[in-house]
Amino acid sequence: MAPVVDVAHLVKSYVVPVRKAGLRAALTSLVRRETRTVDAVRDITFRVGPGEIVGFLGPNGAGKTTTLKMLTGLLYPTAGEARVLGFEPWRRQRAYLERITLVMGQRNQLVWDIPVIDSFERNRAIYRIERAAYRRRVDELVELLELGPLLEKPVRNLSLGERMKCEIAAALLHAPEVLFLDEPTIGLDVSMQRRLRAFIREYNARTGATVLLTSHYMADVEALCRRVLVIHHGRLLFDGELASLVRRFAAYKTIAVQVNGKDFDPSRFGEVVSRDGGRIALRVTKEDAPRVTSELLRELEVADLTVEDPPIDEVIDSVFANAGP
Amino acid sequence: MKRFLEVYPALFRVGLRENIQYRASGVIWMLGLILEPVIFLVVWSRVADARGDAVGGFDAADFAAYYMVLMIVNQLTFTWVMESFQFRIQLGEFSYLLLRPLHPVHEDITMNVSFKLVMMIAMLPALAIVYVAFEPRIAISPTDAAAALGALALAFMLRFCLEWTIALAAFWTTRVSAINRLYYSLVTFLSGRVAPLAVLPAALGTVAASLPFYYCVGFPVEVLLGRLGPAEIARGFLVQAAWLAAAAAAIALVWRRAARRYAAVGA
Amino acid sequence: MRYALDLIAVYFRLGFLNESAYRANFFAQAVESVVTLGTAIGAIAIVFTQTDSLAGWGPSELLGLRGVYFIVLGLLNLVIAPSLEKFIENVVTGNLDYTLTKPADSQLLVSVQQVQVWKLIDLALGVVVLVVAAFQRAGDLGIGAAAAFLVAMLCGVAIVYSFWIVLATLAFWFVRVENILQIFWATYMAGRWPVGMYPDWLRLLLTVVVPVAFAVTVPAEALAGRLSGETLLGAIALAAALLAFSRWFWRLGLRRYSGASA
Repeated sequence: MAPVVDVAHLVKSYVVPVRKAGLRAALTSLVRRETRTVDAVRDITFRVGPGEIVGFLGPNGAGKTTTLKMLTGLLYPTAGEARVLGFEPWRRQRAYLERITLVMGQRNQLVWDIPVIDSFERNRAIYRIERAAYRRRVDELVELLELGPLLEKPVRNLSLGERMKCEIAAALLHAPEVLFLDEPTIGLDVSMQRRLRAFIREYNARTGATVLLTSHYMADVEALCRRVLVIHHGRLLFDGELASLVRRFAAYKTIAVQVNGKDFDPSRFGEVVSRDGGRIALRVTKEDAPRVTSELLRELEVADLTVEDPPIDEVIDSVFANAGP
Repeated sequence: MKRFLEVYPALFRVGLRENIQYRASGVIWMLGLILEPVIFLVVWSRVADARGDAVGGFDAADFAAYYMVLMIVNQLTFTWVMESFQFRIQLGEFSYLLLRPLHPVHEDITMNVSFKLVMMIAMLPALAIVYVAFEPRIAISPTDAAAALGALALAFMLRFCLEWTIALAAFWTTRVSAINRLYYSLVTFLSGRVAPLAVLPAALGTVAASLPFYYCVGFPVEVLLGRLGPAEIARGFLVQAAWLAAAAAAIALVWRRAARRYAAVGA
Repeated sequence: MRYALDLIAVYFRLGFLNESAYRANFFAQAVESVVTLGTAIGAIAIVFTQTDSLAGWGPSELLGLRGVYFIVLGLLNLVIAPSLEKFIENVVTGNLDYTLTKPADSQLLVSVQQVQVWKLIDLALGVVVLVVAAFQRAGDLGIGAAAAFLVAMLCGVAIVYSFWIVLATLAFWFVRVENILQIFWATYMAGRWPVGMYPDWLRLLLTVVVPVAFAVTVPAEALAGRLSGETLLGAIALAAALLAFSRWFWRLGLRRYSGASA
């Protein structure tokens, strides 16, 4: 089956002016503009098949959003090729734009002062959705997202979570085949994040729409994507099943323990990451974590103890380290 | 009094710094202030030229002088408190202004004056262009200048008090733009901007001479240009002072109620 | 085409819906518009207490000029200015991306996205003034002049619109475009009176730099029955050229925004 998204050696570089502080720098900049090149995306290649949910994972500034923008036609690539549904996105052909949708976390496309349903109407007109189909879509989405009481309210009266639900609904009215979601859960509380993820999963199962999602929350990716693409410094560091990524690189846990009083040698429990008075951080393998935890609790006077996954940057850094030169 | 002497320099410094920052938008805003007198200058010059004789005692060169001075006087007396009040209330900035142990009007005054100091520099080229292009007839005697200075000072204070009081309407309604528009319309006709009072139809001229608007702008202009006799100047000063007293009283009265209402309605 | 008209209708409807939440705005706008109109007519009346003709324009002709001025101003304030000002804001906030992923022409969307419906009152008042002025010259107004007026009016609106598109497109390069827009507003004021009465240098500014002459004076001259054929043809040519140029410039700006290499 032909891939829905076909990206080959995609590159995006910006030239940005270098601005330094101070009067002298401001004056010299009038005469000579210093610039530097930012390589936002360096040679990325991947393919996404129909109906897949794919997560782009990486810290801020990694190049995830830039990649997404190139696939939605908002940016021209510096080099390389990309095709979505057979189209070149930056040609921004109407036939293409009618089959995709973009949702950006914390950015609204709904009109602020009027009821949600009226913003939906606007989208209906823009996408030329036939009335009967539109009615059906609205009912479906209202049911799936529990929007009933929200439709008549002006957007400004909604909470952040409710707003996000409505934004997503508005973005799906025209039954797009490809969903581009840029940090959709950012800023939402945990329960809303969970509900949104469940919705996206359900939507994908029902409609077979392809979903490309960017996030810097591991939890987003964990909940939704079987396949994850790790991007860091514009490079694709990992493309594969999430399970294997987690297995390979998030193999460690960090145990932070606060001990009272007595001296002891923490290194016998595991690798000591930091020590600050009574507060010690240990790194142990995932398998060892339960054992070490119970040992610590048994042998020491523990005031506080937490077991944490390594932060995403660490995971990615280790992916990077393992990716070779 | 002593407190003012301490506080005003500090407020001034802040005002100057802020206004130097916003110089670009300030200059462009001034464009509007400059263009209106120029437009009426041209209109009345054409009328005078077509008639071949003076209109209400003004010929083309007289009109040029009148409007050039009007430009300066308007620039020196105008305020933007009515607009800023709207924003302040919308953005809820008033709360912190009310918390200060200083009447908000002082910050407005210093911002206003420091803006004008900065903008005077931008005004000069505009004045030069107008002078060269329209050849005004200007003959100012020292007594006129002295009297005009007094009239100008009173005009500044009068206009400030007037517009500050009207601005307070923002506490009672958000539809201030309609009120503002009404005010600007009256000011335009009755302060000498559409035409010098002598050129207005007699009835309108008489009304204008008793209302405060003329004493905010037109009166100092005519004093400076030596168009008024000593009796007229004296009478004008009296009317000016009377209106100033009334406006100052109005501020005190309305402000107290406004502050109370703001607190009642909720910051 | 039908789709474009559909979209415009949608945004007008949105504009109404937006405003119905603030009903008092209608009355406030009505008061404002009437006061503005009153001021305008008052100023003209005062001028004509002292003369019969201003630079060759009689009172009803001047009234017609003012009517055209209000109509163009009304149109600008109704949809062109608020939409393009919102566009400029969206360039900075990044919300423009939503507009660009919609399957409709971006220039169209950006030009109609915000409608301040109560400015229709300004528009209506302008039309009323125009009609009154036209009636005062009912006898002299021939079909030719009326047709020339309509054409000139359309060209004037097209010219002003294209001018605004060019200014707004600058937002792709310069962040502080709002200042430039202010220059337009300040200069447009001069259109209240016939451009011909201004000294040469000012007239040049108002024709070439900021197209006030073509927006207001030229259609008013047509209504007064004294528009020369050459000027009308010039207006048509300029309108076509500016529409084409603004379209080209818009696409250039868009390409720059999307980081297309020259």
